[in-house]
Amino acid sequence: MAEVTRLFDEWAAALARGEQPDPRPILAKAGAGAGELAAMMERFLRARPRAEPDPERVERVRAWIAHEAPLVQLRTRRGVRRDEVVDAVMAEFELAAHKRPIVKRYYHRLESGQIDPARISRRLLVLLARVLDAPAAVVATWRPRPLDVSPAFRSASDVVFAQRAIAAPARARTDAEEDDEEVRALFVSGG
Amino acid sequence: MHDARDAEDAHLLERGDHATLIAAYEDVVVQRCLIATRGNEGYDVAQNVFLRLLQELDRGRRYTVPYRVVVHKVVDWTVKEHFAGRPTDVALPEGWDPVDESDPYAEVDDSDLDALWADLAEGDRRVLDLRYVQGLEIDEIAERLGKTRNAVDQALHRAHDKLRTLIGDG
Repeated sequence: MAEVTRLFDEWAAALARGEQPDPRPILAKAGAGAGELAAMMERFLRARPRAEPDPERVERVRAWIAHEAPLVQLRTRRGVRRDEVVDAVMAEFELAAHKRPIVKRYYHRLESGQIDPARISRRLLVLLARVLDAPAAVVATWRPRPLDVSPAFRSASDVVFAQRAIAAPARARTDAEEDDEEVRALFVSGG
Repeated sequence: MHDARDAEDAHLLERGDHATLIAAYEDVVVQRCLIATRGNEGYDVAQNVFLRLLQELDRGRRYTVPYRVVVHKVVDWTVKEHFAGRPTDVALPEGWDPVDESDPYAEVDDSDLDALWADLAEGDRRVLDLRYVQGLEIDEIAERLGKTRNAVDQALHRAHDKLRTLIGDG
């Protein structure tokens, strides 16, 4: 098979197996044929019948609709504690022990939607996907659903969430909190 | 091939099961946004598509076209707005209609896999179903159909040629 058709075949078969392949490296491999491959993928996605969503996927979307943080939902479903994720980050990137509180704070911000998951480094994304046993696309796509939508769009669950948020004790964060370039690069580099 | 899923979607809409409906299109939306943007911003665009779909559902919108058409149109619009530098984390405009004829992007591509490969022989279509719907490996398909690996490759090759022709025509 020619390169473009071989890449298309591998991508389409992976989709059919229920995987969530990242199309970008596949398109990159196509080189000058990337445009043609993208058009083939696009046409196929429009023609292909949607898959039946598995219960875990439905549960994740249900939690997102209810304003639960998707990463927290995923982590708790897997029975993984936040400290275990932090430990995994510390070990994977061989960070100095004194940076642990900084990693923990950044990870908390990621889970709570203060850091855009699309901006975390590729290395961290791969690690989180492994620790949380989820496709990288799930980790990078889903973030807490914002409340700042027009009132006409708000549902009853929005109101409940807002009441909880107001009742929660505010945590003062100052700019004086310790930061670290190495940790920042992992969480907000986008590369 | 679309008909059965369209009927399921209509049932989910009727029941107000928005979670299942959105979950069913997760792959399609994420894949299309990543293919279109080729960058990490594709994840942002995908998330905004899901937000827009949910907002529309919460508003109680009902559609005269199958829900999959709505999904693809919201992806089309959101990607288009992203490349135009307009914010995509806002609701769709009031009165947005997936089949509004004044919208040049409103043309609905309703072809399914059966239509896409209608000109191919029955044996080739069987290979395609096993490969791209059921996800079997090429050797498994050859064994199941009593064909050689080369014959399966040839069937896939004919399908890819058809797809290329359609894209060229489009």
